[in-house]
Amino acid sequence: MVTLAECLGDCKPKIGVYALTSCYGCQLMLATVQKILDIAKNVSFESFYMLSSESRMPADVDIAFVEGSVSTEKDLEELMEIRKHSRIVVAMGACAVNGGVQSWSEGEKTCDELHKAVYGDEKIDMKPLQATPIDKHVEVDYYIHGCPPEEDELMYSISTFLFGTFPERVDYPVCAECRLKGNPCILIERGAPCLGPVTTAGCDARCISFDTPCVGCRGPVPFDTAWFDSLAMVFKKKGLSKDYVRDRMRIFGAHEDKLDEMLDKIYGGNE
Amino acid sequence: MRYVKISPENTYEFLSRLKGMGTLYAPSKISEQFYDFQEVDDVKDVEFDYHRTIRPPRRFFYPVEETMFTFDTHKVELKEKLPRKERVILFGVHNCDIVALRIMDAEFLDEQPDPYYQIRRQNGIIIGLSCMPDEYCFCNVRRIEFVDAGFDLFFHELPDGFLVRVGTVTGHKLIDPNMDLFSEVSKKDVDNISEFERKKADAFKVKGNWDDLRYLLELRMDHPMYEREADKCLGCGNCTLTCPTCRCYDVKDKPSIDGRTGERIRFWDSCQFRTHGLVAGGHNFRETKQDRFYNRYQCKNAYCPETTTAYCVGCGRCTYFCPADIQFRSNLMEIGGYQEVKK
Repeated sequence: MVTLAECLGDCKPKIGVYALTSCYGCQLMLATVQKILDIAKNVSFESFYMLSSESRMPADVDIAFVEGSVSTEKDLEELMEIRKHSRIVVAMGACAVNGGVQSWSEGEKTCDELHKAVYGDEKIDMKPLQATPIDKHVEVDYYIHGCPPEEDELMYSISTFLFGTFPERVDYPVCAECRLKGNPCILIERGAPCLGPVTTAGCDARCISFDTPCVGCRGPVPFDTAWFDSLAMVFKKKGLSKDYVRDRMRIFGAHEDKLDEMLDKIYGGNE
Repeated sequence: MRYVKISPENTYEFLSRLKGMGTLYAPSKISEQFYDFQEVDDVKDVEFDYHRTIRPPRRFFYPVEETMFTFDTHKVELKEKLPRKERVILFGVHNCDIVALRIMDAEFLDEQPDPYYQIRRQNGIIIGLSCMPDEYCFCNVRRIEFVDAGFDLFFHELPDGFLVRVGTVTGHKLIDPNMDLFSEVSKKDVDNISEFERKKADAFKVKGNWDDLRYLLELRMDHPMYEREADKCLGCGNCTLTCPTCRCYDVKDKPSIDGRTGERIRFWDSCQFRTHGLVAGGHNFRETKQDRFYNRYQCKNAYCPETTTAYCVGCGRCTYFCPADIQFRSNLMEIGGYQEVKK
């Protein structure tokens, strides 16, 4: 685990906040946390275009927070540069961690087919790539889940680095947080297609608290503990079709290697 | 023991007076199928006829998350953050949850009392309430369907009110200044209580006692049930988080943005999570989902010497709140070779 231990004291860690293909929501979240001025006092933002036009790309930094998926050649080049110039790389948000919603066609349609469907024969001035999470290309040291990450998660991550430790990755599902919050279970009660049991916790069951089933925006629980097969078994009993379940699980989980295998186990092969 | 009677109307008045003594929590209907202990605003909203709450009562004494102390590494200072002495009154606690709290006491108030738990528990008042079992209940085979300790007052349902058992000195102090609300118990009331208990005994799906279960579990460790059922498991931890006797917690330091101060928090953990068995060096005691699933069956059926019961109190929560519909009781019956009562 890379930490900033030797920075304990008065030095200010250098931070870069970068965006690849994304909605910029994660860095907007970071730029608007209540304690942004406290953060700015304790770190030196070498690159954070949303906050300062004096930003440079790439900059030599201690920590790079990267949002967005690799969806163009330019993204890939930038990501490589970022990695070269950063001691610690943090994947920030669903696009960087899981590939984001733009990964929906992963394994379904090639990039060329997608391009043709959208642009026809028109040329665009960048070379598109199939959208991928950043750890498909570079070594990622830490992950912050969420679309966007919650304020307390961003604060926790930065604070642990400043303290000389590192942020622990959440490895339990939204379902647990939901129960601790005292929400009634909408999956049990009315068979809602809730992805809470396979989705990384941290949002304090935000959507379910508003009676809306989890769509999985925080990405599947890491370390191979997202049990899509067990959840599919439940959904199947409740009458949900394989196509529906698969589409829903793929919104933020298209890059999960075991997803199809697990769904096939329950629903059988191609429907 | 002292016994008094209270009418339904006076019960509401009594609850109103309790509200004046501290924060009163009671079962409340939160959705079509679920109940939870909630702070009582209007005493008329208190639910007397409920099966089980989604969150167990232990959370009032051992919160889901709490700050244990704050620290400053530059000043090398540590400030303990003990809870305030606030009166918390729990009304409507079923027998299973009362025994569950005694199990929590056994773990948190042993020779090395946990000050955080102790302060809250000492300021807590427990008022029990009788209940009729539903198809998920099996407290009887755990030998706890009638409690004789662990409550300050216990309300037994009568056709025309409640027979109240006084369990502690605190219980007497709740009754004494409110004697205008209580009356003497009649012979008919006692007969009604016996009738209630007889009906209750009849309502259980299982009979006898399961004291031999923990040995049978040990003797049948490789039972095929584990693999079959673990396959359904979502690993979501709902069984343990809703369990009234699960006690596992984890601690974590939450630093502040200044890089030198912070707080240490402790929060409920679950043996169903991967990190529960994860130790230094990346080794894991319970590496697979099945290992974790298996662990809960052993842990819940182990023996608690202080209550002379199993750690599982048969409240049915782990089954009722399991999104994967895993039937804990049936699975145990399969291993123990127990049969349901034929009606």
